[in-house]
Amino acid sequence: MRLPERQLAVLEAASATDERTMDEIAAETDLKPETVTGAAFDLRDEGLLAVTETATEVAELTDEGRDYVADGLPETRLYRAAVDAGAADGAVPMGEVIGRADLAGPEVDIALANLPRKGFGRIDSGELTVDPDADPDADPEAAALEALADGESVDDEAVLDRLASRGLVDLAERTTRAVRLTDDGVDALMEGVEAAETVGQVTPELLASGEWADVEFAEYNVEADAPAVEGGRKHVLRRTADRVKDVLVGMGFQEMEGPHADSDFWINDCLFMPQDHPARTHWDRFALDVDPMEDIPPALLDRVETAHRDGWGEDGDGYHSPWSEEFAREVALRGHTTSLSMRYLSGYAGAELEPPQRYFSVEKVYRNDTLDPTHLLEFFQIEGWVMAEDLSVRDLMGTFEEFYRQFGITDIRFKPHYNPYTEPSFELFGDHPETGEEIEIGNSGIFREEVTGPLGVDCDVMAWGLALERLAMLTTGAEDIRDLHGTLADIDFLRTAEVSY
Amino acid sequence: MPVVDVDPDALRGLTDRTEKTNEEFKEDLFGLGLEFEGETDDGELQFEFAPDRLDRLSVEGVARSLRYHYGDDRGVYVPDTNDAEWTIEVDESVPDERPYVTGAVVRGVDLDESALESLIQLQEKLHATMGRGRAKGAIGIHDLAMVKGAPLREGAERSITYRGIEPDGETFVPLDSNDELTPAEVLAEHDTGRTYADLVSEYDRYPAIYDELGLFSFPPVINGRRTEVDTESRELLVELTGTDQWTIDKMCTIVCYALSARGATIEEVEVAYADGTTHPEEYGSDLVRPNLEVDEKSVSHDRIETLLGVDFEPRDVVDCFERSGLDASYTLDEAVTYEVEIPPYRVDVLHPLDLVDDVGRAHGFDELEPRYPDVGTVGGRHERTRLEDAVRTSLVGLGFEDLLNFHMTSGEENYDRMRIEPGTDVLGGDEPVRITEPYSEEYTQLRTWALPSLLLLLEGNTHNAYPQDVAEVGFVAERDETENTNVAESRHVAGAVARRDASYEAAKGRLQAVCDDFGAELETPRTDHPTFIDGRTAAVVLDGESVGVIGEVHPAVLVDHDLEVPVAAFEFDLDALR
Repeated sequence: MRLPERQLAVLEAASATDERTMDEIAAETDLKPETVTGAAFDLRDEGLLAVTETATEVAELTDEGRDYVADGLPETRLYRAAVDAGAADGAVPMGEVIGRADLAGPEVDIALANLPRKGFGRIDSGELTVDPDADPDADPEAAALEALADGESVDDEAVLDRLASRGLVDLAERTTRAVRLTDDGVDALMEGVEAAETVGQVTPELLASGEWADVEFAEYNVEADAPAVEGGRKHVLRRTADRVKDVLVGMGFQEMEGPHADSDFWINDCLFMPQDHPARTHWDRFALDVDPMEDIPPALLDRVETAHRDGWGEDGDGYHSPWSEEFAREVALRGHTTSLSMRYLSGYAGAELEPPQRYFSVEKVYRNDTLDPTHLLEFFQIEGWVMAEDLSVRDLMGTFEEFYRQFGITDIRFKPHYNPYTEPSFELFGDHPETGEEIEIGNSGIFREEVTGPLGVDCDVMAWGLALERLAMLTTGAEDIRDLHGTLADIDFLRTAEVSY
Repeated sequence: MPVVDVDPDALRGLTDRTEKTNEEFKEDLFGLGLEFEGETDDGELQFEFAPDRLDRLSVEGVARSLRYHYGDDRGVYVPDTNDAEWTIEVDESVPDERPYVTGAVVRGVDLDESALESLIQLQEKLHATMGRGRAKGAIGIHDLAMVKGAPLREGAERSITYRGIEPDGETFVPLDSNDELTPAEVLAEHDTGRTYADLVSEYDRYPAIYDELGLFSFPPVINGRRTEVDTESRELLVELTGTDQWTIDKMCTIVCYALSARGATIEEVEVAYADGTTHPEEYGSDLVRPNLEVDEKSVSHDRIETLLGVDFEPRDVVDCFERSGLDASYTLDEAVTYEVEIPPYRVDVLHPLDLVDDVGRAHGFDELEPRYPDVGTVGGRHERTRLEDAVRTSLVGLGFEDLLNFHMTSGEENYDRMRIEPGTDVLGGDEPVRITEPYSEEYTQLRTWALPSLLLLLEGNTHNAYPQDVAEVGFVAERDETENTNVAESRHVAGAVARRDASYEAAKGRLQAVCDDFGAELETPRTDHPTFIDGRTAAVVLDGESVGVIGEVHPAVLVDHDLEVPVAAFEFDLDALR
């Protein structure tokens, strides 16, 4: 017969005549007690050992109990002090005795409660009288504490219960396991048992030869740290973008795409942004050193110019701002992806669109701003719109409530707002899912007729926008956006940021 | 967004709500879209609001909105005006760049410190917003008692003149100075002059306003000291110059409404554009100002109902209009349409839609029940972003950390530090698209390739553990006159292996795996590229077309990026995997 080495050791240490405890076997075999226990149960399953379990109550001194072993029980100390003070001969004021007994804080109450109980004396109207015949040295509670402190056992359960209720000992049940060789075990040993070989690693040879069945696998320290493994990961912002895209596709939105460098016509003029709007000054935009855009549909260009100069519709007023075609044709990096919405709504990006339609993009935009923990020169904008007949503010609210609910943001609030390109317009606010703080989570509205009219759209279009980084900072807890995005990113942050899904 | 400072005592006085606490005002104003921002040192409350209701740029306008909100006022209000005594003559010397002027006379003014401060604030806030930093419109307010006007032409009682003068053609004592200065000297020597010098320094003739005694105002830069307004002033002359008549008229109207709310009487002025001057086409050459005409627009009941998603009784709609400071009438035909009157201080009503918004606000957008639109559409991702994503998944599976770098960079990073030059026939050597007025030296152009971004990232992470295998599927751009935008935009796939044992083989093995995923046939014929080591550089040829480069990065590039490990890298055009 072959047995793993540790099982063999336990088997050899066991006796057919005497029960031996696990601790005894562990001491003899020089194995860890838990290893011995594991091996013993394996051997029992083989029918070679019998394992018996005995439950015993074990009493252990508490810290307080140990203190009293050293100093004496408070009631004993009070009794002796009282005898010294003459309380055996007549009543003595309590204060005097307590001072003499050197009892600290709660010990006073403990002493006063236990002294009469043990018949050492009595307390009457603040005075103490003690029994001169009492013998604290014969107190079974003190004796039991001493015995426990010396590692002896105490059999008097009443005393132990009393000490436990005083908080001086803890009573616990302990299971002691002991083994004895079975007849089969004895037979096996008589016939001879060999130790099986231990193996470090499972090898192809081991598997192919079938030797694996007879070997013992060396134990590892399974709690130790392993060398770090760095797998590749999708960028945390991309993952947030993917999640947003999943939600929007699920809500029936098609993805848009289009140029990052575009004419001011598509970026701003179509959006009914006056050409002297502060956001269109050279401070806010990244103008590019390329020639102006030549191909803009002339009829569309005319209609947009009309909207700016004279307004749209019978009762429309234009802006009292300068408007030039040259400016409209200048090429710059887009400040928002609404330029894509304009290209799609006008039919320039592909087919003419008939309602109903839903479109979105999660793409980069560029703003000439100062780089700081919450602002980047380039960031991702989530942009979405719905085109349908007779859309109302209520449809807008319902759509955005549904979108944000997907990110755990419920109870969103709509604050009336102003944008040059939407009316009515709303800023969206919600509560941070973890901190509960109120945060702005988007800007929305129904495109003005000065926007949709020139594009040739004669139904309603509601739209909204939001910075993706804002969502990502909420979901990753990043405090500095530069850790996430760009060439200043910290690779360690990217490797350890919690995966969101 | 504009911020208005509000003296809470003045607000209590102007709204006749002496019992209101500051906290109650904050809450009421939040409902109107004015958000409390903080308190000034002198205890004024600051509110931020969206830049549509510019008539709320002072406590008087804020109070007016609150009175409508409380229901104390209803419908359109237009202050009475007295007939004109003064004329602003526009001389043909007026600078072509700033041809327009308007104004008003205000009598019976009683300004305490707080009211004067509010007036100055309103003036400055209007300059910053509608006035586009005084370029489009600038306001000058003068003590009328100090203006001496002799009639310049028959029929006029008193007049001042808006004209153009030589930069050194006249002297006057500007505000905050004791010296007689010419306009050119003001621009050079006076603090306010220096601040606004850019607005007029290119003009041949400078804008100037004269009375009988001479030059007293140099718009849009500074007024003269002679006509300075203080708490003793009882009669005011308001003049505005600018590049658009409508804009300065509206600014003037808002100022007049504010002074009228303080109990003053508005008196008209005539504006007479001389022959040969540019006068506003829509108004003619002789104007009476301020223009307090009420505008009219019509909006259908049906549009209000569909846009707000609520059924209304016409009388409820009229109630909403009146509580917004508008008047509305309608006839009970089959299709109800409202004729709405809009007071002249409203600068934000460009279209009937804006009236629907007013109804929505008066009704309370909070009252609307959200509903999910019952409209079916089919969703889906764009083919390009699906391809990008599929490549990213491949790269991540090969152990690459997916990166997301800036698209803007500098010529130094894009070319110099990579040992290449713009206009050369190597990957990355395309002509750059530059930013015309870069904010920072680090971001002056769009990147022509992605590998410089990867090396920058490695440079910034030398303190972190290796290996650092990084990759990006990202945007690059170059000049291209065949494109409508004159910019060719594309996506590159770039990967870099940075580790002790990084080698050409390590990079090629990974590149091969990506190409296999997409069924692209890879060949790597030897090539030269200054970023890489000679003899360890190859072209990436996919399905017979050269689309990129692969190699071991040159030690000179590594050392320049503070890298102490070898780096092998590849980059190619994403389209080649299609």
